[in-house]
Amino acid sequence: MWAMVTKEFRQLRRDRRTLAMMIVLPVLLLVVFGDAASFSVKEIPTIVVGPRAELVAPLLHAPFQVVAVDVDGTESTAKQRLLVGAAVVGVVTRDSGVLVLLDGTQVFSVQTAESALARNARTPGEAGFTAAAVRVQILYNPSLTTSWVMVPGLAGLILVFIGTLITSLGVVRERQSGTLEQLAVMPFRPWDVIIGKIVPYLMVAALDLAVIIVVGMAVFHVPFVGNVATFLLGAALFLLVTLGMGVLISTVSQNQGQAIQLAFMILLPQVLLSGLIFPVASMAAGVRWISYVLPLTYFIRISRGVMLKGTPISALWQPIGLLAVLAVGVLGLAILRFRRDLAPNLRGTAEQGAGLLEGANP
Amino acid sequence: MRWGLDDVTVRLGGRVAIIGVTLPVEPASVTVVVGGDGAGKSTCLRALVGLVGVEEGSVRRPSKSKIGYVPATAGLYADLTVDENVAFSATAYGLSGAELKGRAGRILGLVGLDGVRDRLGGQLSGGMQRKLAVGMALVHSPELLVLDEPTTGVDPVSRAELWRLISRAGAEGTAVVVATTYVNEAARGSAAMLLEEGRVLISGAPEGIVGEVPGTLGRVRGVSQPTAMSWRRGADWRVWAPTGDLPPGVTRVDPDLEDAAVIAALASEMAVSS
Amino acid sequence: MTGSLARALGVSMRFGSFTAVDSVSLAVDKGEVVGLLGANGAGKTTVIRLLLGLLRPSGGTVRLFEAPPTVGTRRRVGYVPQSLGLYTDLTVAENWHFTSAAFGSPRQGLPAGIESHADELVGALPLGTQRRVAFAVALAHRPELLVLDEPTSGVGPLGRARLWQDIRQAAEAGAGVLVTTHNMEEAEECDRLLIMVDGVVASAGTVAEVIAGRSVVEVRCDDWDAAFVALDAAGFSVQAHGRTLRVAASSQDVTALLAHEGIASRSRSVPANLEEAFVAVVTAGSVS
Repeated sequence: MWAMVTKEFRQLRRDRRTLAMMIVLPVLLLVVFGDAASFSVKEIPTIVVGPRAELVAPLLHAPFQVVAVDVDGTESTAKQRLLVGAAVVGVVTRDSGVLVLLDGTQVFSVQTAESALARNARTPGEAGFTAAAVRVQILYNPSLTTSWVMVPGLAGLILVFIGTLITSLGVVRERQSGTLEQLAVMPFRPWDVIIGKIVPYLMVAALDLAVIIVVGMAVFHVPFVGNVATFLLGAALFLLVTLGMGVLISTVSQNQGQAIQLAFMILLPQVLLSGLIFPVASMAAGVRWISYVLPLTYFIRISRGVMLKGTPISALWQPIGLLAVLAVGVLGLAILRFRRDLAPNLRGTAEQGAGLLEGANP
Repeated sequence: MRWGLDDVTVRLGGRVAIIGVTLPVEPASVTVVVGGDGAGKSTCLRALVGLVGVEEGSVRRPSKSKIGYVPATAGLYADLTVDENVAFSATAYGLSGAELKGRAGRILGLVGLDGVRDRLGGQLSGGMQRKLAVGMALVHSPELLVLDEPTTGVDPVSRAELWRLISRAGAEGTAVVVATTYVNEAARGSAAMLLEEGRVLISGAPEGIVGEVPGTLGRVRGVSQPTAMSWRRGADWRVWAPTGDLPPGVTRVDPDLEDAAVIAALASEMAVSS
Repeated sequence: MTGSLARALGVSMRFGSFTAVDSVSLAVDKGEVVGLLGANGAGKTTVIRLLLGLLRPSGGTVRLFEAPPTVGTRRRVGYVPQSLGLYTDLTVAENWHFTSAAFGSPRQGLPAGIESHADELVGALPLGTQRRVAFAVALAHRPELLVLDEPTSGVGPLGRARLWQDIRQAAEAGAGVLVTTHNMEEAEECDRLLIMVDGVVASAGTVAEVIAGRSVVEVRCDDWDAAFVALDAAGFSVQAHGRTLRVAASSQDVTALLAHEGIASRSRSVPANLEEAFVAVVTAGSVS
């Protein structure tokens, strides 16, 4: 029996991918649940507008973080800032009282803000800031329904799942069975093979996306107030990124087991740190940077923005632009690597073993 | 030389896989490349069909649509039926419509799989899978047919049937190249080549190879190894004298193809170590 | 017959309504190498599992070292599967020590033949060396019976010769060896052969005995390719060896067909080789 234990340890020591998983995973979980996984938001971006803005702004303490004070601004100014996501709370000061606008898509920020406001209301008010004169209005998601916020996120999750995991398995299967070699010898152009492999997954992912949105709207009454074209653009770009990742994974995996391991290591951080479940705003800065490199983070901004708030495309140029750059980069790299597998290249040596090999041209 | 490799060297992952290999391939012939695992057979075939580039030397091959290739690892889709597999291959090579149906039917009849057209590739026995893969490579009547170890691990009956297919293709004008680890299969073709560690040990017509072997060969019975240059063959020992006479007590025999292969490998080892 | 290491007498194995093995008798004695041949599904693997006691027979008796097989007697058997049974991500030495420990042998040094590869990963070795290592590891606990599945599959001629040297050495030291193979060259190395078809032993004996009396028609002609196509298209079992054809049929039928096709040729009857004899046995066996 002891021989069994020794042997298993020796094998494990040499299996780098499994070791990485065994070490990276607990660290990731520790980071997430220790720090990132929090439903209480410590800093809520707030904008204060109206004639008494300069008086009210200093009264707002944590968790409110005043990012702008606009004396000439009106209610529509504040709404505009919430729409584009520049602020989550808009305090509109008027002679008749204070109107607090809250961005209902940031459920946990709003809950934190509400309880902070309730605490403030109990203390003796300063000029105009008493409970009677404060009106609170939650925009976009008045009942703070969780499903409304989850469905756009799940749409992204499905796209990631199909694009990355399923696609990589489909391509690796070809490599494992040896048929990829044959495709290289048949009169296919590398482009035919790549597109031919990706298109079915693209179509299924698009179908799944439609189903999720439709079911979300029909069963959970999730609204879709924004521009469908904007949404589709974001979805298409995001899908290209995930498909690219799937193909990329397949080019560095010799069998389905390896592909699953890699895909898992890429999927799990996205599920936990992209804002799907835990709000990005509640993550400490040290952890938040991780969510900024995950493509799903940006798609969720687009999907929630368009579906629930009706955010215009002009306000979404940042996530869309980033996804576009990522799509070109990841898909481009994936196609380059995949092409190498399908046609011998000018220069380069490759590992011997399963899969295709290349050498130098004469 | 119509097609083939001419003094080809291929480097893979930093090490030389084959060096100085000349493999002429002519239409209406079957050329057999024999060698053990790692000898470089697959590399030769891959260089021939264009899967790897060559560092030195040149390769001649017809266009992709005129080549049929079966890699060492099956080369068929386990989750498609026999019919669907052949249809995919035919379509990939540009066949369609009535011509596709006709050729597919003829090929399946030829390989003996027309009774199982609806069976999934993964449900076929090993021998039937190989036959399907060869059928897929023949459906478009290629000018060059390249098979990488089609008979390794296959039961003898299926192996005989595969060779029937191979010989038939050769007889009908195709240039066929077969890689194998079985030395006796070298005698099936019209030309043979023995590879070891990336180099050609001997090549030519099978009858000629046996005659060109250096030194003298003999056999003797006994329990312990007679000389350093001897090996077991059944209940006997084979003894090889590279130069000069055989040791006393050893009866001279004419080498067969298997002996020739072993002698060539030993001679090469001697040359390397001296 | 006393002194057999492994013996099966009229053994049968039924799985539900399917009979995998039907009244098979075989024996492996000390010092001999027995070859077990047959198509996949013929019952070879089932017979081996019966001999090792991994299955209980539906009928007949099985004796391993003159007694019904037990876990204890299985320890006296060395088994090498076709897939080597080695861990490719361990070194040769690590595999050796693991298997020794598993069989309860005292820790011992590697045999001379593989010692030079002691610290190399098995997965990095060429196949011929891997097979020699697998064989050596199986011998580590000094088994009296060796069961080898396709021992030289994929190995080149010199490697095969060296591996068979190791096998013969073990036999001469007193072990009995049972080899299953699809490879005719390997079959010819055995002292005795057993050919199984659909669960029964269709032919048994030395190579010469199995071939005995069988013949094929050897055809030589200038237009060999036309002759081949004609014979093949007519349904004959024809094999080409270079420009010479060998047909498993009667001389009259062959000459008749070739004459009908207008192909000039010379035919004569020659003894069959082992592969042709095997195919004849198997095709006859499956028909009956």
